[in-house]
Amino acid sequence: MRNLIIFLRRYFNFFLFLLLEVICLVLVFQNNDFQKTAYLNSANNISARLYERYNNVEYYFHLKATNDSLVKENARLHNMLRTSFDTVILDNIVKNDTLRQYGTDTTRRVISTSVRRYLYKAAKVVNNSVTNPINYITIHRGSADGIRRNMGVVGPSGVVGIVRSVNEHYAVVLSLLSKGRNFGTSARLSRGKEMGMVRWHGGEAGYATMEDVPKSVHLVKGDTVVTSGYSAFFPENIPIGYVESTEEVDKASTSFNIRIRLATNFYNLQYVYVIDNLLQDEQKSLEDSTYKMIKQ
Amino acid sequence: MSILLRNIIRFVLLLLLQVFVLNRILLHQSISFNLYLLFVLLLPFNLPRPALMLLALLMGLSLDMFMNTMGMHAAACVFIAYLRPFIINVLSPQGGFETTQRTPSMTSMGVSQFLIYAAILVFLHNLVFFSLEVFNVGSFLYLLLKIVFSTAASIFLIVLYELLFFSRK
Repeated sequence: MRNLIIFLRRYFNFFLFLLLEVICLVLVFQNNDFQKTAYLNSANNISARLYERYNNVEYYFHLKATNDSLVKENARLHNMLRTSFDTVILDNIVKNDTLRQYGTDTTRRVISTSVRRYLYKAAKVVNNSVTNPINYITIHRGSADGIRRNMGVVGPSGVVGIVRSVNEHYAVVLSLLSKGRNFGTSARLSRGKEMGMVRWHGGEAGYATMEDVPKSVHLVKGDTVVTSGYSAFFPENIPIGYVESTEEVDKASTSFNIRIRLATNFYNLQYVYVIDNLLQDEQKSLEDSTYKMIKQ
Repeated sequence: MSILLRNIIRFVLLLLLQVFVLNRILLHQSISFNLYLLFVLLLPFNLPRPALMLLALLMGLSLDMFMNTMGMHAAACVFIAYLRPFIINVLSPQGGFETTQRTPSMTSMGVSQFLIYAAILVFLHNLVFFSLEVFNVGSFLYLLLKIVFSTAASIFLIVLYELLFFSRK
């Protein structure tokens, strides 16, 4: 026993070193279980507040670019209004009711009771990175505003990422700029309707790759790549990027990899919209129960 | 200024500089500027080893909190804090460094000695950190390039810092 104590005291430094390293490594490899360490990431109060204050300053210098993107988005939305078309019957807007659409005249008649599927919630970006292999975005919206894990996030011009962890007032979003298998979203070419997966492989923040596109595709440079609507995160037809060029990986393979220019400018992201898919649970439980039925 | 106060100020300053300035510089994906580990390099000579490692852990974890890289910076920092006394022993002349100045710097160690000291520790730090980072994603060549380029960039910054804050006597 005495010898053991002497031994321990002699190599105390080395054992302390081992202990600290093991603690660090446990933290690193537990990181996948995001919820457990949520209090030690950039959504915690100290760092999130500091980031927010810093962003207040930075925000000022980006005002021009932010304005431009908001104006562009306004223009796009105006173009989608019924009033922009000749065959207008009723000028209607959507109230914050999840089930009914009301008319805008004084009677406020219910004009439709079709079930609403997606609800958009605006959120301010307080921290954002583009230089790491896996990039995260912190937004100033949390569980108090109805944000939950695994909600899709889009920017003014296209897809941004998916909510990974949520705090009362902040949430951390896994950016589309996450290397390899960490983030992939199901996509479709808007002209030819061919499907594929969009992934980022590091490098410049403005470009990504659309993988597994059948070779029969008729490619046009500048064609829009949009979300397919197959995943429960994003609605259909949200732009992801624009076709830039094809890279032929392997002559024998049956699919193309297309290099695309991302629609979202990750360098000056200031506002994003979190998408609440109101029918997600319904779709998922049906799919799960069917899957179980077939497995038996 | 007392050594304690000086180190506390350096801790905060380097942390803020790292988070809000250096991590936002985008030169190339394989170059990242790590200056915060200068805090570990410049702790006093006579600090006992356990204190050295615990301070390094504190610095690493604080940075991890901002960067969403749980434990990676901390592991690398503790690693170099543990190896620091060995390197200083090897580099010191017989009888140790002058006791008039208690922190490692270009004036107390000599320019070439300090550069070797910084280069070895920065390299080891980057080796551990980027290995952990790329462990999840990426390839070997990319890792090697990243370590070499980032070490060069960090040493450049450290020399700049030294020339700015230490007047030669």
